[in-house]
Amino acid sequence: MSDVTTGILTALGGVGTLAASGGDAAAHAPASGGALPAASPLVLLIPLLPLLGCVLCGLCAAAGVRTKLPAWLTVACLGAAFVAALKMLGDATGGPGTHATIAHAFDWFRIEWGKGPGGVSRELVANFSFYVDTLTCLWMLFVTGLATLIGLYASEYMAGERGPGYCRFFAAFNLFVLSMSCLVMGDNLLLLYLGWEGVGLCSYLLIGYFYQKPSAVAAAKKAFIMNRIGDLGLALGIMLTFVKFGTVEYAELFERIRPFVELARHGRFDEIPFSVQLIPLLFTVGAFGKSAQLPLYVWLPDAMEGPTPVSALIHAATMVTAGVYLVARFIPFYVCSDLALPVVAWVGTLTALTAATIGMAQFDIKRIMAYSTVSQLGYMFAGLGVLTSTGAAFHVFTHAFFKALLFLSCGAVMHGFGGQLDLRKLSGVRKMPGWGIVGVCMLVGCLNLSGFPLLTSGFFSKDMILAQAFTTPGFAAIGWILLLTAGLTAYYTFRVYFRVFEGPSQFEPGDEAHAHADPGDQAHAHAPAGHAHGGHEHGHGQGHGDGHFHPHAPGWAINTVLAVLAVCSTAAIGAYFIDRDHHGWVGRMVDSSTAAWEAPGAGHSGAHAEPPAETGHGAAPGTFLGMDPHAVMYYVSAVVALVGIGAAWWLHLAGRTAAATSRADGLLAAAGPVARGAQGKWFVDEVYDALVVTPLWVLAHVFHLLDKLLIDGLVNLAGWVPRGAGRTASTGQNGLLHSYALGMAGGLAIVLVVALFMVKN
Amino acid sequence: MIQKIQSLWPEIVLFATACVVMVVGISPSVAVRRSCGVIAGLGLALAGLVAIDWPGPASSVVWPALAPYVKVLVAGVGVLLLLVLAGLPDREYEAAVAHGQRYDPIRANRAEFYAFFLFSIMGVMLVSGAEDLIWLFLALELTSLPTYIMVAISSSRNRSLEAGVKYFFLGALGAALFLYGFALLYGATGSTNLETIRQVIAQQRLGSEAVNGVALAGALLAVIGVGFKIAAVPMHFYTADVYQGAASPVTAFLAFVPKTAGFVALILLLTTIGWGYGPSGQSLPEPIRTVLWVIAAMTMTVGNVLAVVQSSVKRVLAYSSIAHSGYMLVGLVAGPGPAGAPFARNGIAAILFYLLCYGVMNLGAFAVMASLERRSRSGATEEADSIDDLRGLCTTRPMLGWIMVVSAVGLLGMPPLLGFFGKLPLFTSGIGAGEIPLVVVLGINSAIAAYYYLRLAALALLEDPDVTPVGGGLSENAPPGRKFAGFICAAAVIGLSALAWPLINLADGAAKYEPRLTPGSAVSAREAPIVPSADALTEPRAASGRP
Repeated sequence: MSDVTTGILTALGGVGTLAASGGDAAAHAPASGGALPAASPLVLLIPLLPLLGCVLCGLCAAAGVRTKLPAWLTVACLGAAFVAALKMLGDATGGPGTHATIAHAFDWFRIEWGKGPGGVSRELVANFSFYVDTLTCLWMLFVTGLATLIGLYASEYMAGERGPGYCRFFAAFNLFVLSMSCLVMGDNLLLLYLGWEGVGLCSYLLIGYFYQKPSAVAAAKKAFIMNRIGDLGLALGIMLTFVKFGTVEYAELFERIRPFVELARHGRFDEIPFSVQLIPLLFTVGAFGKSAQLPLYVWLPDAMEGPTPVSALIHAATMVTAGVYLVARFIPFYVCSDLALPVVAWVGTLTALTAATIGMAQFDIKRIMAYSTVSQLGYMFAGLGVLTSTGAAFHVFTHAFFKALLFLSCGAVMHGFGGQLDLRKLSGVRKMPGWGIVGVCMLVGCLNLSGFPLLTSGFFSKDMILAQAFTTPGFAAIGWILLLTAGLTAYYTFRVYFRVFEGPSQFEPGDEAHAHADPGDQAHAHAPAGHAHGGHEHGHGQGHGDGHFHPHAPGWAINTVLAVLAVCSTAAIGAYFIDRDHHGWVGRMVDSSTAAWEAPGAGHSGAHAEPPAETGHGAAPGTFLGMDPHAVMYYVSAVVALVGIGAAWWLHLAGRTAAATSRADGLLAAAGPVARGAQGKWFVDEVYDALVVTPLWVLAHVFHLLDKLLIDGLVNLAGWVPRGAGRTASTGQNGLLHSYALGMAGGLAIVLVVALFMVKN
Repeated sequence: MIQKIQSLWPEIVLFATACVVMVVGISPSVAVRRSCGVIAGLGLALAGLVAIDWPGPASSVVWPALAPYVKVLVAGVGVLLLLVLAGLPDREYEAAVAHGQRYDPIRANRAEFYAFFLFSIMGVMLVSGAEDLIWLFLALELTSLPTYIMVAISSSRNRSLEAGVKYFFLGALGAALFLYGFALLYGATGSTNLETIRQVIAQQRLGSEAVNGVALAGALLAVIGVGFKIAAVPMHFYTADVYQGAASPVTAFLAFVPKTAGFVALILLLTTIGWGYGPSGQSLPEPIRTVLWVIAAMTMTVGNVLAVVQSSVKRVLAYSSIAHSGYMLVGLVAGPGPAGAPFARNGIAAILFYLLCYGVMNLGAFAVMASLERRSRSGATEEADSIDDLRGLCTTRPMLGWIMVVSAVGLLGMPPLLGFFGKLPLFTSGIGAGEIPLVVVLGINSAIAAYYYLRLAALALLEDPDVTPVGGGLSENAPPGRKFAGFICAAAVIGLSALAWPLINLADGAAKYEPRLTPGSAVSAREAPIVPSADALTEPRAASGRP
């Protein structure tokens, strides 16, 4: 798989140098209005195959399959979808110039009512059509690719669940990919919304996969409800868009937003109606919910209750980047508001910092990774906010690989050590037999996350955002905060690595250890041959007395996936160096989509002669302490990352003899309330409880009472009125012939008198 | 003349069948007597088949396709009605004959019953082809007079006789009213030919904006008088007593056949006035529109609120049949809209389609009631009528129970059943005609109707059957034809909703509205503006092609 990926990347570089993309951002917006050329029908396979997979898994459940069949079906379907995505990429970038195409599946909504001004019929058209441009390709490439890999990983990871649960897992897994492809590929906001809700649903289903575990159920509900808040914003944004622009189709929308973009380009924000400026802000609410930004981020760390493959795919690599996609896709809308992008940038930055500080103080390695995801998503939003959609997209791309890698490595550890996730209870895992690959892969992932210079793709993508933050006028403070966060990130990342994978080999199995140690246990009995039983010759340490526990090292599926991801993470550097004239491969992809909106001086070399667009602020590019940020940021961020790693080494590895203690403990005591605050996640959950949950609870009871007394009363009254009227009217139905005749004649008389009066008047 | 007779082939077939039935029905041989129903059914089916191919009267220029649709409709539903009616007449008398009593043709009712049934249906067919007021009056009475007898002889109980008498007297009052209206129309226009009346009224409008007052009074009286046939307020009083007094199969007949005749007659009568008034130029003259509006609103409201408080299923269905008439009157108020209006705007098409839906659904409910008997403590059997008789019917008699559930829910208008598709065009045509308040009343009434229809459905479906029934309990002692008819109706309520669009197209075609003045009138239709201009709205609409 890695060969394929690198090969494709190389091939794309070749194509890219041939096909020079236009420099003007406006030219990238679909110029042809509603009539975009049709894409290859092959594109329809991308959503169709996961749907097929979902149905097949459902059938497996119905047929009572107890083998790994659903997993293989899933991997086959998603793998084929990945191939289709590659083909889509080839089609999208192969031709001369750049253009969006549309693959039409079927008509979905076509509601017409009357004629608007100019004889144009008012209609709501939202088809099941897919908008294929390079941004779509970029997203779908890693969504389908990672889904395939993680599906393979899950085939082993979930082996203990074989039976109905296994089918359920993979059905939801496929449904997620289907929803995600609707979200990313939809050619209208309605389809995007369908996908948006779909991924939310799948996320709920998969977080709550262990539905007998109260904490998992609570986490699933939390994720769903938190997302609803964001979804409300998105829904309002979509409605406002339709009201304002009369369409929800991208091709039309980007055409109709152009006059406003022109205004914004010249800084004339006063002339843009407030409602147009409001749209991006509403979208932002949706994006913050889905992508776990302040203040809606609290669901993501709890979402780690789901099985680790789910955390890796949905809550690290793909779904949570939907918000980034939304903002990137609608960058033309965002530049129309002088408030939207700064809001995005600042919220992203503060989220990055907050989550990083919390991550520093946690002990659960999966949670640390979750906070780091929140933090990295903050980076991406900051990147979008400071107008480097290329940087943001590049970071999404690299982050998808290395974060999936980190999660899967953590998952392998968790799987092998009976659900143990506490970094104080694991140590020196890399040196245990069978764990070498995991250790190396974890190291690669950590290096990427911390932005280790030159060797890692994470370094380059993070760099791009940092440099641009300093370049874009007015955002230098964001740059400094992000730089600080980079240091913190390096520290907490390597804190995990040095604690868990280096140092003396010790471990203490987790709660699920007994299940795993039981020789009759199905999971173990059916475990793949690759499960080596290590740990005998190593001291179990800590005197926990569980002599029977053998951590089982990961099998071939997990190891393969980890290795591929490690290679991919590193290979993603190539995307930066290929086609440097256009800010790298990702840059070219972004530039040729609707997300094209590059601030001046973007790209480190500054080699491009014509900047794609002005910022609209008209100010000169900022500097980093008087130097060109793009030139100097390599060195600065490298130093920051190394300092962070060094600190982690000194505090958590150097001279450490036991798993539970390290030099940092003393520091913790010294830091006092700050450390306690970070450990308590800044008590955001408690604040939410006090400010939102409790009042809502009280309110709900009050409303319940109101409902009982007032609404039910009204409803009952409405029920009694016809009955009362019927009782009254039925007195006229006395069965007497003459009274009936009298009624008829009387009624006739009334009618005639009334008619007479009407004619008279 | 030849052409006119040609258009009457279905009626001729029915008449011939009725004659045969009258003779065969008094045969001393039981087997021959029993063939009555079969002969009637075959005749009816043949008449329906003939009607499919036969064009309406050529001179019926305004509604060129109305008559065939109505004829096929009544023939089709008539066959189902016949299935339910079969075995009803002479039931006790035949039992007595079987026990050795001597057969006396004078005392037997069978022959008359089937013949009157056919005559009544023939009356509806004649109404649909009416071109003349006299014809219309005779056809309407031909529809009604047999029903009075059918009510009276439907069972040997006194209540049936009482109901028959009441129905006859009140019906005579109604007939007198619309006959008076017809006379006034004749007085105002000098003709009894409907088309001529239409032309004259249109010509009279050339001079003044208002409709001739005498013609208006005549039309009002006629509409209210015909309102008796459809049980519209204020002519609705008889409904519950008569429906309850008659045997269930006859009640089913009453709820459909005279109602169809009434609506067709109303359509033809109002066509003479025409939907060419009001600000939009597509509604009735203001006095008639207001009267119809109020009658529609009152009819559905009175029907529904009275149905809510009933404990007898037949009375519930009787009052609900009043309410359904009210719903259909909305279509009459809305009118056919501009020439070439889409189905959703054409209230007449909505009525024609709703008649079909209502006929099928209502018959399903009545077929269930007709199939059930309650044995009283004294051992005598009587019709199941109490709403409690339905309790747990889905458990004890699944087939009948489910027919009742489907019919009741269909009558309520629950999507995706037939009733929903029937009611929807009434809503859309009302909205299209700008009668929003009336549509709101219609909506509220549909909600009220949900109360008692859901009660019928819920009793049958959700409740447990009575373990210790008061009296002797229910028995099913009816000819299997009723159950079969009910099954077909329930299947149609579900199945026809899938075929709703073809049927709607049929109704739409039947309600093709082609009003035009004959050559020689002042302005040719060609010059009429297609969309009324602002002038046309305020000026007398003489220039319009519509009357």
